[in-house]
Amino acid sequence: MSKINFYLLEYAFSYIVRHKSKNIFIVTVFTLLVALLSSLFFVTSSVTHDLKERIAYKSDIFIQNYKAGMPAAINTKLLDRLLEIEGVTGGKVEVKGDYYFRAKDSNFYLYGVDAFEDQEDPLIAKLLQKYDLDDSEMLVSDNVQKIMSQAYYKEYFNFIKPDGSLQKVNIKDSFDVGERVELKNLVLLSKDTLRKIFGYRADEGSDITLSVANKNELEFISSKIRLMLPNAKVISKDELEQSYEKLFDYDNGVFLSLFIIAIFTFFIIIYDKANGLSSEEKREIGILKAIGWCVEDVLHAKFYEAALLSFFSFTLGFMIAFVYVFVLKAPLLGAIFTHENMLNIHDFTLGVHIDFSYILLIFLLSVPVYIAATLIPSWRVATLDADEVMR
Amino acid sequence: MSLSKLLFLVLIVSANLFAYPNYSHSLKVKKIYPMGEKIFKKRCSQVDVAAYSSYDALLSAIQKSTKCGSLKTAYQEALALYLWDHKSVKKRETNYPSLDVDHKEKCPICGMFLYKYPRWVAMIEYKDGKKYYFDGLKDMFKYYFLHPKGIENFFSRDYYTQETIPLKSAYLVLGSNVYGPMGNELIPFKDKKSAEQFLFDHKGRSIIRFKDVTKATVHKLDE
Repeated sequence: MSKINFYLLEYAFSYIVRHKSKNIFIVTVFTLLVALLSSLFFVTSSVTHDLKERIAYKSDIFIQNYKAGMPAAINTKLLDRLLEIEGVTGGKVEVKGDYYFRAKDSNFYLYGVDAFEDQEDPLIAKLLQKYDLDDSEMLVSDNVQKIMSQAYYKEYFNFIKPDGSLQKVNIKDSFDVGERVELKNLVLLSKDTLRKIFGYRADEGSDITLSVANKNELEFISSKIRLMLPNAKVISKDELEQSYEKLFDYDNGVFLSLFIIAIFTFFIIIYDKANGLSSEEKREIGILKAIGWCVEDVLHAKFYEAALLSFFSFTLGFMIAFVYVFVLKAPLLGAIFTHENMLNIHDFTLGVHIDFSYILLIFLLSVPVYIAATLIPSWRVATLDADEVMR
Repeated sequence: MSLSKLLFLVLIVSANLFAYPNYSHSLKVKKIYPMGEKIFKKRCSQVDVAAYSSYDALLSAIQKSTKCGSLKTAYQEALALYLWDHKSVKKRETNYPSLDVDHKEKCPICGMFLYKYPRWVAMIEYKDGKKYYFDGLKDMFKYYFLHPKGIENFFSRDYYTQETIPLKSAYLVLGSNVYGPMGNELIPFKDKKSAEQFLFDHKGRSIIRFKDVTKATVHKLDE
């Protein structure tokens, strides 16, 4: 078994070509199955990778004030009280929110920054290193700049405040968000200016974020804060991670049902194949035996045949899935994960992040199974006498 | 209101205007100093603190100076507080060794890999420069009782802030419901206030100092 027997390989190949219609059918089904499953795995692994990265940039504890079931402004004085908690190593009041620009029917994500505060997000931190923003200036993403310039705002933009008056802010520069599509509508401006735009008082912000050095304490500290602020919503990084995982792990309902259906279809085909060979195939094996092939040779040839077919289909399916997900960005299928959902996540780049353990799973579930399903019935026939088979 | 009363009031108000503000220690450490440090490094690195005799003088100099550009009042105060508090006591740089361990490092007592539990790393530094790392104070003390000679210093991480602290001056909490990789642990804190808070939060039994730790205390943790 150490060397590949090229004569048998050639025979196996010509066998595949001879039974064209049957084998084309098998290749098609096999390929589609592998393509479907691996594109699902590609989408999930890429999306979870994206989400993990997004969580990594989030602060450890996020506190939002609620009023009448809606997020409300939070008092900045609260931060001083929260910083007194042992274990909290830093924190800041955030001023941020969405601004709806009616003329172009688009939402800008306005984020207030303070040059002398720590930024968790590397993109924002880098921008603040590069630019010195004053109160009348803002930095906008390329996408926002495009939208603004379509509305003829090239040098500045007029934000409409809650009382109907205008707040003019100059556009200092635009930046590229790169892979971070969730920030494609980001606008950075000083906290004080943003407070004016959103109608917050000077001692108000939209939420408070805290950092905790020892992650063991995260849960304890968040429960402490919950006791302290019964009306507020307190979300720790751990909980965020859990809720994301719940949504995107592979035991996700949609995924699992698709997976089960696909696997069952495959096994039905396999069962059908394993259940018996056609009389034509039986006769062929009989002839081979009659001209002097031993059982081993027959099985060898059959093994090559099955391996050729299944490897070819697997690779083809894998490549189709790759192109479908990472080049075409998974039209239709991707929507399962990126559609409106409870976490309010819409945009994904679908970067190439493949979890190879899943690919191995698909491989092991398909290729060896198929090879076995080809070998076993042939073996059963090949052990019989040639005359018995051909009779 | 008589003139003298008014004068008195003005005096108090003006005195309070520049007085050293009354913020709590944790607020200063967690919010004001980091901000002050950033302002200092970004805008005002030329300010020489030694030239000022009082906090008031420093603050008013910062307010008047044009070198730092226009700073908001909160920033001015943060900068002044940072500079003032870090000048008087030379604590701007306390260089303790880093406790980051590589993937090969094992605990000499239990043989466990340390990189998996970076929060619990403790270290003994010997006078000849050798450094031994442990996965918790318990194992460190066991080693220390076996090899007590020629030791330069002991280090571990403060449980809350995760910064390196010398253990000789630390407060150690016994009997809490927080477990390290080796079970019951002595949990180190830089200051007494956080140790007391931890004792209360995590149902600790007692707070002891480094010199009070005996063989019996350590072995009792394993029971």
